[in-house]
Amino acid sequence: MDDRKNIKFILNIVLLLIIGIFLWWGQDNLSAFYIRILNLSAIFAILGISMNLVLGFTGMFSLGHSGFMCIGAYVAAILTMSPASKEIIYFMEPIVPVLAKVQWPILPAIIAAGIVAAIFGFLIGIPALRLRDDYLAIATLGFAEIIRIVVTNTISITNGSLGLKNIPSVKSLWVYWGIAIITIIILKKIINSNWGYAFKAIRDNEIAAEAMGVNIFSHKVLSFTIGAFFAGIAGALMAFLITSVDPTMFRFTFTFQILLIVVLGGMGSLTGSVISAVIITILMEVLRVVEQPFDLFGLLQIPGLPGMRMVIFAIGLLLVILFYRQGLMGTREFNWDYLLDKIHSFKKRGASM
Amino acid sequence: MLSIKRRRYVTIVALIVALSMLAVGCGGAADKGADSDKEPAADVIKIGVYEPLTGTNAAGGQMTVEGIKLANQLYPEVLGKKVELVVVDNKSEKQEAANAVERLISKEKVNVIIGSYGSSLSMAGGPVALDAKVPVIGCSPTNPAVTLDNDYYFRVCFIDPFQGTVMSNYATGTLGAKTAAIIQDVQQDYSVGLSSYFEKAFKATNGDASIVAKVNYNTGDKDFSAQLTEVKSKNPDVIFAPGNFLECGILVAKARELGITVPILGGDTWEAEEFLNQVTQYKDIYFSTHFTAEEPVTEVSTTFLDEFKKAYPDKEVNAFAALGFDTYILALDAMEKAGSADSVAIRDALAATKDFKGATGIITLDENGDATKTAVIKKVMDGKFVYEAKVDPK
Repeated sequence: MDDRKNIKFILNIVLLLIIGIFLWWGQDNLSAFYIRILNLSAIFAILGISMNLVLGFTGMFSLGHSGFMCIGAYVAAILTMSPASKEIIYFMEPIVPVLAKVQWPILPAIIAAGIVAAIFGFLIGIPALRLRDDYLAIATLGFAEIIRIVVTNTISITNGSLGLKNIPSVKSLWVYWGIAIITIIILKKIINSNWGYAFKAIRDNEIAAEAMGVNIFSHKVLSFTIGAFFAGIAGALMAFLITSVDPTMFRFTFTFQILLIVVLGGMGSLTGSVISAVIITILMEVLRVVEQPFDLFGLLQIPGLPGMRMVIFAIGLLLVILFYRQGLMGTREFNWDYLLDKIHSFKKRGASM
Repeated sequence: MLSIKRRRYVTIVALIVALSMLAVGCGGAADKGADSDKEPAADVIKIGVYEPLTGTNAAGGQMTVEGIKLANQLYPEVLGKKVELVVVDNKSEKQEAANAVERLISKEKVNVIIGSYGSSLSMAGGPVALDAKVPVIGCSPTNPAVTLDNDYYFRVCFIDPFQGTVMSNYATGTLGAKTAAIIQDVQQDYSVGLSSYFEKAFKATNGDASIVAKVNYNTGDKDFSAQLTEVKSKNPDVIFAPGNFLECGILVAKARELGITVPILGGDTWEAEEFLNQVTQYKDIYFSTHFTAEEPVTEVSTTFLDEFKKAYPDKEVNAFAALGFDTYILALDAMEKAGSADSVAIRDALAATKDFKGATGIITLDENGDATKTAVIKKVMDGKFVYEAKVDPK
C-alpha cells in the first residue's frame, strides 16, 4: 500500500507538470480565441465543482449560485477599477466616497470577492437551510434574485443597471487554470475529510446522519458557505475575463447553465464536473458551425438557423436524463486507484495465462 | 440480464449521438476548409456581425440583421471584391458576446465588425476588438460607456444623453411644460440613462423643483397602478417614461385609463407594433426616434424604404433595420475611403466620418466615435405613428 501511495504521489506531480507545461506552451502558442475559451471553461469548472459540493455532495438543491457570482463579480470590479474610470463611469450618481479611491491588485481582490460572497452565503444559509428539497430551491432562487435586484438599485455603489466597465483585463491561462486547480485540490481535500464524510452522510440519509452525531445544520451551512465562496471567486474571474459587469448577466438562467454542467458531469463527481464544464464550453463554440449556412455534400443548401446549438444541447440533456441518469461520471471520480487497479488486474491475468 | 441490455441500449444511443455530432462536425469542418482555401486568394472582404439572435434580446437583434442583410444584397462589393457577411449569435449573454467577437477576429479573420443590439453586450465585445485592433460599428447600443476609452468602437445611433436632452427640450419648448414626472425601469440601463439626462436638462431649464416625481418599476412588471397613482397626485405637466415597448405599452394605456391626460414622452424603443397596439385609441404620446418614413432625411432613406418593402413585404419598417443598414454602408464607405481592407486603416477612415448620408440621417462621428445626427420626434395619432418634428444636433 505504501508503494501505491508513492506511485500516486509521483503520478500527481507528473500530471501537474504536464498541465503546467501545457499552460506554458498554450500561453504563447494558442490564439487569443482558444485562450479565451479555455479561460471560460476554467471559470465554469470552478462554478461546476462548487455547485456540486452543495448539490452533489451535501444533497442540497440550491439554485442561488448566480447571486453569489454576482456579488463576487461586483466586489472584484469595484476593488480593482482605477479611481479615474470610476469617476467617469458613475455618471448618474457618484460612487460612495469610501470606495472612490480604492484600487487593489487582482489577486487580493479575487480573494476578497470570495470572502464577501461567503459572508452572504453564510447569512442567507442560516434562514434558508432550515428548508429542504424543492422549498430550499425556491428560497435560494429567491435570494439570488434579491441580490440581483439590490445590486440594480444601489446605484451609488454598483452603478445600477448601467453596469461597470474598464475592469482590468486578465488574459493569462495561469490565473484562471491556476485558481481552478487550487479549487479542485481544496474541494478534494474537503470531501475526503471529516467534513466531507459528514456532507455525504447528510446527502444519503439525514436522519441516520443525525443519529450518528453529525450536526446537520452547521454542516449544511458550512457546505453552503464554501460553495458561495468559490462561486464568488468564479464571479470575480468572470469580471476580469469580460472586463465589464452588469446585473442582467446574473439572471437565474445562469444558474441553470451551471446545473446543466453538474448534471451532465454527474452529481457527486468533481472530475465529472470539470470534464463536463470543459466539454460544454468548447462544444458551445464548436457547434456554432451548425448555425452557419453550409452545403451538405453539394446537394442541399442549408440556411443558418440561430439557436440550433441549443437544440442539440437540449436533446443531449434529454438523452442523459432519460437513459444515463447518473451523468458522465456518476458518483465516481477519475483517480489513480481506478487506473492502477486496472493495470494490476491486467498484469495478473497476463501472469496466470 | 436487464442491466446488460440496458447498457447496450445506452451504448447504442450514445453512438448515434456521437455519430450525428461527428457528421455535423465534419460538415462544418469541410465547409471551413473550403473557406480557408478561398482566403489566400483574398477575393472576399469579411464583415463580422455579432447580434443577439436568441435569448432575451433576440427580437432587436433579428431586426438589425435583416437591415444588414438587405444592405449586403444591395451593395455586395467593395474595392472590387465581394463582401461576405459572417453572422454569429451572442445568445444575449455577455460571455458569449466576448467569445463571438474573439471568434470573428481570430478564426474568421474579419476586417470590420458590426454589432450589437444591447449596450451591455457591446461592452463585453468592445475590449476584445480593441485588443486586436479591429474596428467595430455599433447599430443601437445607446449607453455612453460603450465607446468610452475605446478608439475602435463607433456607433451610428445617437446616445442616451442626446435623446434625453432632446425630449426635455421638446417638453419645455413645444409642449410648454414647467413640471415633469419620470417613470423609469430600474433594470434597463437604457431607461435609467435616458431618465437621468432628461432630468438634468429639465432641471437646468425649469429649476430644481421641476421634477415632481421619479418612480421606478422593474422589467416584466404588469401592474403600474401604484406608480401612476403617485404620479397623478403630483400633477405634472408631462410624464417621461422611457423603457421597453411591452411594459411601456401597458403603462401608457393604464395611465390614460386612470385619467392622466398630460402628454407622455418616451424613447426610440417605443417604435414597435406591440407598443402601438396597446395605445391605438390614445393621443398625446410622443417619442424620439432615428428616422421617419414620411419625411425621408436623405436620399439613402428613400432607397432603404423602397428596398425594405420589396425584401420584406409583410414587415413594418423599423429603426433597428435602418440602423443595421447604415452600419453596413458606413463600413463600406470607410473601406473605400481608406482604399484598403486593413483594419487600422478602416478605423482611421471611420474616425474621420463627416456628413455621411445614411438611411437614418446625416451622420458625423465625434471624437468619442459617437454619432451626432438629427433626431425625429413622432407621436401616436389615429392609431398610427405620425411624424411630428425634427431636432438637429447643436
